[in-house]
Amino acid sequence: MSAQTSAPVEVAREAEPGPDQATEPERRRRSPLLVVGLGLLGLVLLVALIASLLTPHDPRAISGAALEEPSAGHPLGTDVPGRDIFAQLVFGARTSLTVATVSASLAMAGALLFGVLPALVGGAADSVSNRLMVFLLALPGLPLLVLVGSLAGESHLVVIVLIGFLGIAPNARILRSQTLALVQRGFISASQGFGGGPLYVLRRHLVPALGPLILVGFVNWAGLAVALEAGLAFLGLGDPSGISWGLMLNRALAQPSIYFSPMWTWWVLPAGLAVTFTVLAFTFVGVALEPSFNPRWLRSS
Amino acid sequence: MDDHREQRGADGEGAGPRSIVSPRPGEAQRVGGVARESPESALGAAGGVEGAPRPPDEGRRRGRRRWAGAGISYAVTIFALVTLNFLLPRAMPGDPIDALLAQGSSGFVFGEEARAELEEYYGLDRSLAAQYGQYLTGLARGDLGRSIVTNTPVWDELARRLPWTLLLIVSAALVSTVVGLVAGVHSGWRRDRPMDRALMTMLLALREFPPYLLGSLLLYVFAVKLGWLPLFGAETPFSGAFSPVERVVDVGRHLLLPLLVLSVGLTAGNYLIMRAGMVGELGSDYLLLGRAKGLRERRLKYRYVARNALLPLVSLTAIQLGFALTAVVLIERVFSYPGLGRLLFEAIAVRDYPIIQGAFLLISVGVVTINAVADALYRRLDPRTAP
Repeated sequence: MSAQTSAPVEVAREAEPGPDQATEPERRRRSPLLVVGLGLLGLVLLVALIASLLTPHDPRAISGAALEEPSAGHPLGTDVPGRDIFAQLVFGARTSLTVATVSASLAMAGALLFGVLPALVGGAADSVSNRLMVFLLALPGLPLLVLVGSLAGESHLVVIVLIGFLGIAPNARILRSQTLALVQRGFISASQGFGGGPLYVLRRHLVPALGPLILVGFVNWAGLAVALEAGLAFLGLGDPSGISWGLMLNRALAQPSIYFSPMWTWWVLPAGLAVTFTVLAFTFVGVALEPSFNPRWLRSS
Repeated sequence: MDDHREQRGADGEGAGPRSIVSPRPGEAQRVGGVARESPESALGAAGGVEGAPRPPDEGRRRGRRRWAGAGISYAVTIFALVTLNFLLPRAMPGDPIDALLAQGSSGFVFGEEARAELEEYYGLDRSLAAQYGQYLTGLARGDLGRSIVTNTPVWDELARRLPWTLLLIVSAALVSTVVGLVAGVHSGWRRDRPMDRALMTMLLALREFPPYLLGSLLLYVFAVKLGWLPLFGAETPFSGAFSPVERVVDVGRHLLLPLLVLSVGLTAGNYLIMRAGMVGELGSDYLLLGRAKGLRERRLKYRYVARNALLPLVSLTAIQLGFALTAVVLIERVFSYPGLGRLLFEAIAVRDYPIIQGAFLLISVGVVTINAVADALYRRLDPRTAP
């Protein structure tokens, strides 16, 4: 399910830096960071899509003895109740990509609603929403996530929504400032002069013009969401029956003897590397896209 | 001038939530770029379009009003956090008593009578406003309630753990500032050389490593395989019998790995901002003059250019203390370091809500306060933003 939701995004990401962005030097688009990042993301997406083909085991079901060593049947052994670790690893990709896409979509939708739209309407709506965003920016994120996460109990959805919510303010600020600059331009006032309402202008002119920034914000927040979700699960928040890399790490490091047995290499390491590479992949793509899209970078270089 | 200040405020506050796990490269660059950017080029940036040129007098008055405004906005944020801490548990589905006495804790309530007694004890039979008043007056006296598990006052628990966390974050801020400064100066001075690229790639990639993986990796290598450093804790048990020197060494050995992991996360930001500052100064006339005078390269690099590029780093270091305060939640768990983060983790495991709320309040108010100090510090230090 996660795979389906993230698929169109993947396509969009690859389509954006296409040949129609002719203003950009070719070397930027061919940046190795972008290639590596997209490659890694593609790999994670593929694993998430075909997770059930990669392993015969259900990641939630007990399929062997407790703490088995790696074997042909269990490539990464089993955890304490005897669930297959490899199955948890591949199905964990689904969780991470779902969290990434849903949270980042929420964040960017919120940023459009609270950053771009008020800036377009102007007046009191803009100043009120701007104040609100500045206030939200000042809230410390991780402590807030921990508090709400622990109060909300065993819910994965709350975590996802909250991560997305935290992404609204920083992205709204960036998009708002860009919108304020765009609104001064002729084509926006022309469109408004011909009677285009805020929503029409938003859809017809602003979203395309802001597209690159929205994309960069999306990618950056997706990476952050993966790291955050894993971190929260690592702390023991969220759904304890879920499948997640952070939860794997949480369980593994709860083993008192984890460092003194080879378990570490097939339990902690794969889960930790999976989080790292996914986050790195998003970061690579974000960094590679940013200089080619962010007008401020263009000016300075 | 006004543009400049407006922007600084926006991005400075922006460093808070972005830094939940790690500030992103672009963000750090942006903060770095902002500090030395001239108002003319600020058009694309936050709030850049609003400010029109003003007579100097009015700018001065506006500046003073901004000081007050910033103070008020931080105070409002802290008040909101305090209120959130009160409201969130009550807004969640379920009865607070059920939540307080969640499964696993020792305080399971039998019968309606005991429940009514508890409700009265916690003041839950009163109106929300009355409860809020009680909460605020309690808070003013430093009363954060009692731990459900150990029944000790929450404040005592926090105070016992706080020194370890402070030791960790302050030393990490120092280390990362020094390392970031030296690396940034070096990198920016020789921009686009292989060394610059290598440093940039390495620091940015290292930062994306989740602290739990990095920490676990270091523990495995240095504590288990090599056996050089202790595996957990902040001191050897019963180290009271050690001589003072031995104790310092012992604490240092325990501190080393958590410090390293936390510093790795912080260094990249310092490095980027310092590098950006250096690059921004490179074309300056004074540099040309210095060269013409025949000043030595080293002197030019550190005494002249780095000094001019240093300013943003000062406030970033302060902001990073706030980031470090949240990052320790993850790091202390990996190293079983007995600070606030570890306390929070232990409390989550048994759903000890008073402790969770107390730690949340302390950490989040700490972060906001540090950000406010950083903001004020910057305004004081930078003559361009001082009123």
